[in-house]
Amino acid sequence: MAGYFSEIFKYDFMIRAFVAILVITPLFGMLGTMIVHRKMAYFSDALGHSALTGIAIGVVCGIADTNLSMVLFAVVFAFLLNQINRKRLVATDTLISVFASCSTAIGLAILSFGGNFSKYSALLVGDILSITSTEIVYLLMIFVATMVFWFIAINKLNAISVNPTLAKSTNISVRVIEDVFAIIIALVVTLSIKWIGILLINALLILPAASARNISMNMREYHGYAILFSIFSGVIGLIMSYFNNVATGPMIVIIASVIYFATYIYGRKRR
Amino acid sequence: MKKNNTGIFVGILLIVITLVSFSSTFFIYKKGINRQNVQNQGTEFQNTESQDTIKVVTSFYPMYIATMNVIDGIDGVELESLSEPQTGCLHDYVLTTEDMKNLSTADVLIINGGGIESFIEEVAKTYPDLVIIQACDGIELLADGDEENAHAWMDVSLYEKQVENIAAGLSEYDSANADKYKANAAAYEKRLQPLAERMSKLKEQYGGGDIIIFHEAYDYVADALGMEVVFVMDLDEERQISAGEQADVLTAISDNEVKLVLADATYGKKMGDVVDAESAAKTIYIDPLTRGEYYEDSYIDHMNENIDILERALTDIDGN
Repeated sequence: MAGYFSEIFKYDFMIRAFVAILVITPLFGMLGTMIVHRKMAYFSDALGHSALTGIAIGVVCGIADTNLSMVLFAVVFAFLLNQINRKRLVATDTLISVFASCSTAIGLAILSFGGNFSKYSALLVGDILSITSTEIVYLLMIFVATMVFWFIAINKLNAISVNPTLAKSTNISVRVIEDVFAIIIALVVTLSIKWIGILLINALLILPAASARNISMNMREYHGYAILFSIFSGVIGLIMSYFNNVATGPMIVIIASVIYFATYIYGRKRR
Repeated sequence: MKKNNTGIFVGILLIVITLVSFSSTFFIYKKGINRQNVQNQGTEFQNTESQDTIKVVTSFYPMYIATMNVIDGIDGVELESLSEPQTGCLHDYVLTTEDMKNLSTADVLIINGGGIESFIEEVAKTYPDLVIIQACDGIELLADGDEENAHAWMDVSLYEKQVENIAAGLSEYDSANADKYKANAAAYEKRLQPLAERMSKLKEQYGGGDIIIFHEAYDYVADALGMEVVFVMDLDEERQISAGEQADVLTAISDNEVKLVLADATYGKKMGDVVDAESAAKTIYIDPLTRGEYYEDSYIDHMNENIDILERALTDIDGN
């Protein structure tokens, strides 16, 4: 059994993947709590799908580093969605859905030009094994930025999600905080999409927080459990995917789903 | 009170998941190793006294078969292949964890080269000590737009050169066995010779004319037959064909009075049916030899089948 574990860390790519998981998952747990709380699941899903368009635009414009175009597009997209959200004129979920489908379609259309889509199909399920050290540094930077934002703004964000009008009256700049939050989600989602995959990234954001919500009694528990569940599914998922030779992203999401169902049943019984 | 319960619940839940997943993976992992042992039969034993065994890894099917023939009967050489993609060519293949493990203990990696193994740079960087032999070295490849078309193994005479390259590369690495590698290569080439002769006979009899191909690899078949490829539609993987492309193919057929279309049975079938129904050309399906069974005469057998199919089609067309 001991050899069985040490074998994992014989390979550099596994160590890198492990570090990346340890950086990404707490981040996802933290952001997830806020996304679930503010009922923004659609929002992050749409952002994930916008990555495809971002890459497509990068390819069309001949930008060598498609990461750049992807991040830029996601930030613009996040702003746009926020703007729509504020108007509250139309059913927001429908509108976000329309935007997401539209951007996915544009992305697919451009990328499939000339039958080359297979080059990008890895984006759909992700590939954490190919992560490089530089990319881990990017993730660490966004990790630190998120932590800073978190400690400054968490209470304000909570206040806004409870009652925006009340929050405004206590001198909280609702607009700025909402925009910064949207940008952070956009950055985290786009920077980790290559490793987790478009199809699964939202699941990873939502599931740990939703599981924590099932069982927690207060804010502290909610956040703590969300981060714990997130890291746990990430680490176990990575190790299992290594030994079973399956893609890592799906494995992580399967574990996170098991946790969700268990907490759901437990939470219902308790009530 | 309740808070305590939740904590206990979470603890138990996580422990249960960990245990279940580990015991199940452990089981699968064990099973995987057993299966490998059966597959490799004797070779696993040599592995334990590894120092003087040479581990050769090949990138995919044609390279594996060629190498298999070159190292035939030579002691202390172990051959393995990277796990292959389930679909199409190797072009955008991503290495699996299994491959990484395999490569970390390998001495020599034999690849086709010419850009098919797009992961090779990454591998070379990760394992600087690994000797990489490119079978396409010194072979003049056909052009594919701005890039090279590296499916050289589809032309028997070029495949013979690849065999020579592999033997030369291995001889350089393992000079003690150099003569054996070269003798093996010569023997294999001799057995490949009838294939090359069949192809040149076909060329003499029915060569020339225009042809359309649905897989880049068949450029080499067309070249060996002295036929001119007037349209290439690369259906190497599952993909959607736009209405415009479909029309282009049909126009190219009628404009050039093309009689024959070469396609791959897995990915070209749909388009082949369209061609058969809506034009005067006939689609025939041959094997691009990107995958196949791993035995010594595998290449020879499959190439013979391909040539049978070509021969039948060409005779038919000639008869009409």
